[in-house]
Amino acid sequence: MDSIMLAQQYAGIKRDLDEKGIIFSFSGYLSEGILYSLGEALREKMTLEETDGPTVRRVFAVFVEQMQNIIRYSAEKMTGAREKPVELSAGMVTIGMEGGKVFIVCGNTVYNADVPRLRDRLEYLKGLDKDAIKTYYREQLRETPEEGARGANIGLIEIARRASEPIEYDFLEMDEGKSFFCLKARI
Amino acid sequence: MESLKLPATGRTPEVDFDFAQGVLRLSGESYPDDVATFFGPIFAALRAFLAEAGGHPIRFDMELLYFNSSSAKALMNIFQMLETAAGNGRSIAVTWCYEENDDSMQELGEDFAEDLHHVAFTLKQIPADGAP
Repeated sequence: MDSIMLAQQYAGIKRDLDEKGIIFSFSGYLSEGILYSLGEALREKMTLEETDGPTVRRVFAVFVEQMQNIIRYSAEKMTGAREKPVELSAGMVTIGMEGGKVFIVCGNTVYNADVPRLRDRLEYLKGLDKDAIKTYYREQLRETPEEGARGANIGLIEIARRASEPIEYDFLEMDEGKSFFCLKARI
Repeated sequence: MESLKLPATGRTPEVDFDFAQGVLRLSGESYPDDVATFFGPIFAALRAFLAEAGGHPIRFDMELLYFNSSSAKALMNIFQMLETAAGNGRSIAVTWCYEENDDSMQELGEDFAEDLHHVAFTLKQIPADGAP
């Protein structure tokens, strides 16, 4: 492929992202280090644009929970321990503007066996109003975490709580083992 | 008992537990990659301090600007320890600071306050410093 084609190809990808209002997108292997760096860049950008403080924090909070969900639960992972333990999880995170609101979409593969439980949790959350989400958060905060769980099991509730509209989600079955999972929150 | 002091990092709060004076403080942001590793030593030190005989009143200042959901669970654990100690007669006062306009942090403080009956809990609004 010559260089003109190369530029055309990537300009096309860039145009698609721009048309969807995407200001920030990362796809590939994610780690806690990438979470930290992207998070800082995201906050700096929003602050430079004079986004108000509470909105910056809500976006950042949803971003962190979405990234940590990918890092912890992506079905596509690489682990290794050379000098220090490394864990990379594949997924994507996309932040954009739509109708004057910031949105964050995360996507990663999950095992098909985990889909029904995840779908049930998301459907339940989606049906709750603001007060019910707050109550549910408070209840879950008091629950003892499952043995061996790395998260607090309240990440999804935190996302729903910071969102200004009900969360959206979708699953696409890739093969008999895995599905692609997407979650969208508008701030 | 010896003080516990940890400087803030980009992802973990500053810890300043002056056990001799009974003045404890957490400030900054908390979203560590491994909550158990970060909070484990804090729980241990706090547990040992609360188990000590002696009626020193305790002041705990929470000046957190942001924490993730796993850290929320760890903070809950700290509050439960404090509540138990206060129930046993220790005088404990917690001040939960949040920046003006930060409804999220204010509400999170209210979430924790909900089942504190023996701990004296105060929500305190502080001026925003302009940092995100």
